Amino acid sequence: MGISDTFRMAENDEIKAGPVVSVLIPTFNRPQYLYEALASVLHQSYISLRVIVINDGGQDVSDMVNSFNDPRLTFIDRKENRGKAFSLNEALNRAEGKYIAYLDDDDVYYPHHIETLVNALENQTDCQVAYSDFYKAYCRVSHDGSRPVLSKVVDVSRDFDRFFMLYFNHVLHVCLMHRRELMAKTGPYNEQLNVLIDWDMTRRLAFFSDFHHVCKITGEYYHPMGDCDRISVQRRKDKDAYSRNVLAIRTTRPPKPWAKVEDMSIILAADRLDKQAGKTISAVWRHTFYPYTLYLPLPESDFSKLNTDMPNLIGVPVDPLSSQAQRVDATLERCDGEYVGIVPSGYPIMKDMWIENPLYALINSSLDRQGFELEESMDGLWAAVLRKDDLQFARRSFPDLPVRESLKAAGVGLRHPDLGQIPFRFDSLLQQARSAEKDGNWSQAAQMFEYIAEHHQNALWMKGLAAQAFFNASDHARAAELSREVNRQRPTVDTLLLEAKLKREAKNFDSAIELLKNAEQILRDPISRLSGRHACSGARLPQRESARDGNL
Amino acid sequence: MDITQNNAEQQHDSTQRYEVLQELGDCYSSVGSYTQAQQYYEKAAVLAPDEPGPYVGLGVVALQQNLLDDAEVAFKVAIRLDARCAKAYAGLGLTAQQRADYKQAFEMYLKCLELDADNLIALLGLFQTSCQMGSFAKVTHYLEVYLNMHPGDTSVMFPLAALYVKDGRFEESKKVLLDLLTLDRSHEDAANLLEEVEHSLAQAIQTRT
Repeated sequence: MGISDTFRMAENDEIKAGPVVSVLIPTFNRPQYLYEALASVLHQSYISLRVIVINDGGQDVSDMVNSFNDPRLTFIDRKENRGKAFSLNEALNRAEGKYIAYLDDDDVYYPHHIETLVNALENQTDCQVAYSDFYKAYCRVSHDGSRPVLSKVVDVSRDFDRFFMLYFNHVLHVCLMHRRELMAKTGPYNEQLNVLIDWDMTRRLAFFSDFHHVCKITGEYYHPMGDCDRISVQRRKDKDAYSRNVLAIRTTRPPKPWAKVEDMSIILAADRLDKQAGKTISAVWRHTFYPYTLYLPLPESDFSKLNTDMPNLIGVPVDPLSSQAQRVDATLERCDGEYVGIVPSGYPIMKDMWIENPLYALINSSLDRQGFELEESMDGLWAAVLRKDDLQFARRSFPDLPVRESLKAAGVGLRHPDLGQIPFRFDSLLQQARSAEKDGNWSQAAQMFEYIAEHHQNALWMKGLAAQAFFNASDHARAAELSREVNRQRPTVDTLLLEAKLKREAKNFDSAIELLKNAEQILRDPISRLSGRHACSGARLPQRESARDGNL
Repeated sequence: MDITQNNAEQQHDSTQRYEVLQELGDCYSSVGSYTQAQQYYEKAAVLAPDEPGPYVGLGVVALQQNLLDDAEVAFKVAIRLDARCAKAYAGLGLTAQQRADYKQAFEMYLKCLELDADNLIALLGLFQTSCQMGSFAKVTHYLEVYLNMHPGDTSVMFPLAALYVKDGRFEESKKVLLDLLTLDRSHEDAANLLEEVEHSLAQAIQTRT
């Protein structure tokens, strides 16, 4: 369905009601865009809404917000700037209904956004979280604040991948809707963070629910060409602060029980809390993204030296003369992770994925009694991840043997994971295909995109990329086939343009014109078309809107 | 917005809106809807004032309507924006040819082919103007270059074979004509010319013996 159809439906369909959705819109000094954002929410095809606008101590927008004169609208006009996380928490306290959705003050929903996600959550899935796709609208920001759009691209249309979500974000907050009750499990937004606030929450949501990906484009977010003034973009420039935020997020453990994530306990095998052990602890903290607790079975006298600021550390007091196997046994009594990593002091941890690669293999292994050794594991620095049950079984069966030998004696296999067992295969293949594109190996890139579409989900996204690559590789027949297939399911400007070029090449001008008109329609400002309807509700579009249309 | 940075970003700094308008202009121009084509080219020109494409389109539209002065102006604007715009030179060639200014047309086609040896319009235009001027010196070279790049292009094979005949290069002409007839058996002109070529070759052998 094209965007033109979407708008026609919004105007012609009957208005839908159902469970209440609270839409949270924090705003700070962007009155010129807030109007469009609000108009896009209040003109949804779904009417059971509670819209909460929070002015985070920015420019006065009360006249504009009040001009909407809509009883569904709540305006919190705070004079003090407290940040986005604080604002979202404030809005959450006022939220009601079954679902929560989000909108930044410079983004726009298409009229069916809420209806699409409510319908998905109510009828299509057991998930408590759903998300759709948005266009990234590349625009030029003019002196008068208008932002004519030059391109609209679906930058990311990725199917949910929990492991990736724990590592980094792949779901835009503006595309997201979730059950309100989940917030009781995740806890509120972290007000200590100044970037990646959204990811911190989506990551925590992933502990409690799968996310349902609705492969439809239901809105757009704006990306100015050139230097971007978004607060989050500016803040990312401070690399140290950014890294601190990433670490804070990765080490966040929402309260248990977790419905969707199994916990990992890492046992540090060290004689004493010396410099080397300290370095290993620090490296674990810096390079581990899977939720973990680090257990330190050490003589009690060492605990005073522990850095208590380090998150997720638990000391297990042991006899200074006890063996490493005895220390592991003592720790096993305490730890509650479904998976256990055993890591010796001094084990080289230089990069991310050091423990997640074998852990991912273990989580997805269907074999009983199977453990995986870490990449740098060797005699004298043996390191592995295991199911806690297997480890306990081995230790109880062979308490007098060292840990590794007890596992072997108990029939727990130990090996390194194969390439096909490690996570982020999709990302690795995508990166290779992108790099082939960059080198001008279009044919190779096209084949890789098709392979990914077939074997690693994200089919529509990958087929769109394959179509373009085939076109560049002069395989126009395959490009035409793929672009047609994608456009039948979810047309985008890119794929419409591509199919139109191929139609023109085949001298099928009428079809080419029709496709191009669809593309042209998508590129138009979605809000200006609502102006007639909106005028009825009492509010007025700012003057610059009409001037902008004239320019184009 | 918190999301992984994507490589796609760089690629999409170009503007789809411009591309859509330009393509619409091209499509309308192809179906003879010149007013609409002109409107879209003008919109594209406003959006991307540094791009020669819309002016080439406007030139073609003017040319189709026999507005030769307008066409010339548009093609010249395109060249001012991009001195290496081969299509604009081809357009100027066509404009000059329409005015029966074959010398100017020949020069413009030649300039176009220097920039883009692949431009079929310029190539055939060059051949036509050469015929009209009776001078074929440079044409053969460009036809050969083009045919190397497009080995099966029958539209170029016949003129090349004819030029070979004119230069007395019968063997080369025969080879091209045989290739052409393999690809297009119904090409009567080629069959006739081949007959003539074979006759000339036979005569040459007789003369030698």
